[in-house]
Amino acid sequence: MEEDQDIEKALERYRRRVDLRKKLDQIHASMDMDAIQNNLQWQQQKRPTLIRQLWQAHKQTLAIAASVALVTTFATLFTVWQYRSTHQQQAQYSMLRRDVQAIKQSQNQILSSLSARRRAAFNSTPARVAGTSFLVAPNGYLVTNNHIVQGADSIYVQDHKGDVYKARMVYTNRGYDLAILQIQSDSSYKPLPTLPYSFEPRPSDLGERVFTLGYPRDEIVYDEGYLSSRTGFRNDSSAYQVAISVNPGNSGGPLLDEKGNVIGVISGKQVSTEGASFAIKTDYLFRAIGDIPGDSLKGASLKLNRKNTLAKLPRKQQIKKVQECVYLVKVFKH
Amino acid sequence: MKENSGLRSPGTGANRLRLTDDELLAGLAEGADGALAQLYQRYFPMALHLIVSNNGSEDDAKDIFQEAMVVLYEKVTEGSLELHCQVKTYLYSVCRRLWLKQLARKGRYTLYDTERDPGEGEPTVAIETDLSDHAQRDIQFEVMESSLTKLGEPCRTLLEDFYIRHLSMQEITDKFGYTNPDNAKTQKYKCLQRLKRLFFSVYKED
Repeated sequence: MEEDQDIEKALERYRRRVDLRKKLDQIHASMDMDAIQNNLQWQQQKRPTLIRQLWQAHKQTLAIAASVALVTTFATLFTVWQYRSTHQQQAQYSMLRRDVQAIKQSQNQILSSLSARRRAAFNSTPARVAGTSFLVAPNGYLVTNNHIVQGADSIYVQDHKGDVYKARMVYTNRGYDLAILQIQSDSSYKPLPTLPYSFEPRPSDLGERVFTLGYPRDEIVYDEGYLSSRTGFRNDSSAYQVAISVNPGNSGGPLLDEKGNVIGVISGKQVSTEGASFAIKTDYLFRAIGDIPGDSLKGASLKLNRKNTLAKLPRKQQIKKVQECVYLVKVFKH
Repeated sequence: MKENSGLRSPGTGANRLRLTDDELLAGLAEGADGALAQLYQRYFPMALHLIVSNNGSEDDAKDIFQEAMVVLYEKVTEGSLELHCQVKTYLYSVCRRLWLKQLARKGRYTLYDTERDPGEGEPTVAIETDLSDHAQRDIQFEVMESSLTKLGEPCRTLLEDFYIRHLSMQEITDKFGYTNPDNAKTQKYKCLQRLKRLFFSVYKED
């Protein structure tokens, strides 16, 4: 009978499953469950929590994001650091020497406008640095900034008419940033009888109207302003702060008050602040001159002029007189 | 089936050898206990990991894995196993689905995979079919179980002795105290008829 076979088959299946279950139970009982559990617990420790799962799923994205952030951060920091290290000091205080190499092009233009004779003096080897200087004594002593003439192999000065004289370095004082030059006696320099301006030994007052003449270009340039602080850059007591617009090349120029007394030597400016220029006080000029060893003067005495002939003159006349005593300094380095 | 399975003689001293999955399945089909034990030992930790990682106990893992082994065994002995993946993946998928069913009763419908889920590819379809076949056999098994219980003694023991323990008619005659084997045979037949009625009154094969 078909049903008989079916029921026997069903019984057979039943038997097999019962057998199998028994066997499986035996196998299970024979296994070292503790060892498996221990092994599993070790694996379970690696089993992530929800946060871990999210981490597992997104760690690549996170890693990329993190590295981008890291790179960006450090790149920014580095850029800022580099910007600071290169710009900070320059940005604060800029010495007003004129690096001629950098403005060679404009010099070439200027040279082309010079007459052939004058050009000959400079054409061969252009000056490396240029600045301003002015007479401190009628017999050819000039003062300028140390930062203009330092490292110079030869120094030439040129007056407002364009006549060039060779000068020698008499004395430099790096601390005050001052240098004394002398026009060499063998050149065709004709000493002036007297200087038109005197040197003011007393400290000047705030608000004093001041003016300067200098050579930010190859042509003499006039500028005026007022004394804005008794101390210079970072409270430097050896300098004044002057609200005057000066440019590279003005360094070493005289700073004169209304009456035509020299009260300082232009030396630099604070680039980050508008109209903050600095001038070394005449007191320090006196000290520098006092420090010159007697031998360096080579017999030609250096006496500062105390008589002022400009006091009552209008500004235009003052300038005319002063400009004769202001020289362009050209420094050659080989 | 691999040709070299015979050479390696999976049934005997091969227990200590690491057999391939194919060899183990072949051994399982032949009813070798060694193959069964090796499969069990090899893949139970995986199932345990899955169940324990998803709010189950060691006993749950045992039930689920044995269920999966039953599925595998019955498919293999029937000769209808179509394996599109590794045995490990197959067992994992079966355990995963069986445990998901249990979890669904508690209102959970997702689980944390401790192995890579084979996904919705072809093996999945095969596994679903295998599992529905298995559910069918489960019902048959339970009906048989209850029918045997309802059958009562001595019929149940008699049938079990004959069909399950495979005792001979003579042994049964001696055990139950029948006068001769023919008598025993008649008793067995009557018992089987009763079981048949009980069984088919509940179980209807499609």
